[in-house]
Amino acid sequence: MGDMSRDWALPKPAPVLELVDAAIARPQEPEAALLSDIQLRVDTGDFCVVAGLQGSGKTVLLEVAAGLQPLLHGHLRLFGEPVTRAEGDSFRSIRRRIGTVFEGGGRLFQRLTVEENVSLPLRYQRDLRIEDVAADIAEVMEVCGIGRLVGIPASRLAKGWQLRVALARALSLKPELLLLDNPFASLDSVHTVWWRTFLLDLVRGHAFFGGVPRTLVVMCDDLRPWVRLGKRFSVVSSGRWRTLGDQAAVLEDTDPTVRALLVEDL
Amino acid sequence: MQMMNDQPQSWLSGSIRFLGQSWLEWMETVHRIGAFTLITLGVVVTKWGVARQVVYPEIREQIARCGLRLFPTVAFLGFALGFVIIGQTVALLTKVGATNLSGVLMVTVVVRELGPLTAALVVLGRVGTAAVIELGMARALGEVEALEALGIDPIHYLVVPRFIGLTVSIFCLAVYLILVALGSGWVFGFLEDLPMKPAEYFGQIAAALRWEDFLLLTLKTLTYGSLLSLIVCYHGLAQPMRIEEVSRATTRTVAQAVVGCVFVDGLFIVLYLLL
Repeated sequence: MGDMSRDWALPKPAPVLELVDAAIARPQEPEAALLSDIQLRVDTGDFCVVAGLQGSGKTVLLEVAAGLQPLLHGHLRLFGEPVTRAEGDSFRSIRRRIGTVFEGGGRLFQRLTVEENVSLPLRYQRDLRIEDVAADIAEVMEVCGIGRLVGIPASRLAKGWQLRVALARALSLKPELLLLDNPFASLDSVHTVWWRTFLLDLVRGHAFFGGVPRTLVVMCDDLRPWVRLGKRFSVVSSGRWRTLGDQAAVLEDTDPTVRALLVEDL
Repeated sequence: MQMMNDQPQSWLSGSIRFLGQSWLEWMETVHRIGAFTLITLGVVVTKWGVARQVVYPEIREQIARCGLRLFPTVAFLGFALGFVIIGQTVALLTKVGATNLSGVLMVTVVVRELGPLTAALVVLGRVGTAAVIELGMARALGEVEALEALGIDPIHYLVVPRFIGLTVSIFCLAVYLILVALGSGWVFGFLEDLPMKPAEYFGQIAAALRWEDFLLLTLKTLTYGSLLSLIVCYHGLAQPMRIEEVSRATTRTVAQAVVGCVFVDGLFIVLYLLL
């Protein structure tokens, strides 16, 4: 009977993102390991937070997870597919399922306006004119609270608004996995509150995604705003990866780096 | 005494080492630009028709930027070129009684040599340098990675429009420049009372033109355009860059593009001689 129930058990879905025995390097020093022994498994609906001090390799890790940089060694799987070479059209189709929001101003295309930035991925992937995607773009811009920024060049926006535009751009393709690089680093309190609410909505199931929860991976250099938001935590320190566990594990951890990331004893 | 003998030797070996290193660096750059060219051509072929609503407007924008907006400058240069060539040579040709060679002279100098080269250098100076800065800044600010992250091929979106735009524009501008220079040559001749009717002057030019001139003019301008656009895009995009490196990349682009154009010009002179 026990065997039968095992036979009928549904197979566990493949993780959205998996890094096994991985090591990463800076593009400027491709031979020198920046971070080693990375073991990260992100399942559907997860909210993973990876914390580390500045220069610890979080941005490179995010770029590796997005398939933008190669691994030094180890394995990367995205949506169950092994990523051996982050190039080519087949990999680009996987990338479309990942939304990436970079640190600071989100790396917007400075010569384009807000709606041109937001619409570019949709127009490129579907081969449409900007008028043809106007309704989709208006919706995602409204969701991100930037509907009134139509026509403004991206370069004229303050960092907080640039990051919202970058979020709208990343969401325009309705990705399943959202990678965020230290999003609270350059935000004022009003923007931070908006982001906290929005990210929680995304994990619970935002109406924009038909109520289906999204998977989030966040890099941060300050654990305080994230410790009540995230579900699973890891820390990078001195070139090493350490999985911490859930919120309680973070708060109980005695590691000096974790305490510093919680801004204690400073 | 020994030291005095060693000094010229070390100077010589240092110079040889410097020349050798410079030569190897040039070869490495040529090799990399060659690889970048093959990648770009591959993308042009495999992605022809992909994302037309995004890429075609970019191509039109590049043609407008390199071609239409530069037309007044090129027209002025063409006018000045025709004036200068006829102005400098008409007195000489009149002295030796060879005014009937004015047309041949214009074809040789303007159509075969100065027209295409001037158009290429104007585009390099006005558009090429701006493009390196634009692409270099995009690279330094991480926009290229942002494109990749959105599933957009940066070569397709950033390089292909510039490659096609610059190539088509240099061809068109060279043709305009040649036409304006030939016209202004006649205007100068008319002002200088050159004993030659318009029909005679243009007849001489038509007689001097051979089918190879049209073929080689097309090939030459297309080669200049491809070469300039690829050097510009290579230095702007192909390698990781910091903001402070953009100015160096720009000067390197200008130097290499000028050398490249002169080299191509030399190859075409050989081709003219062979045909």
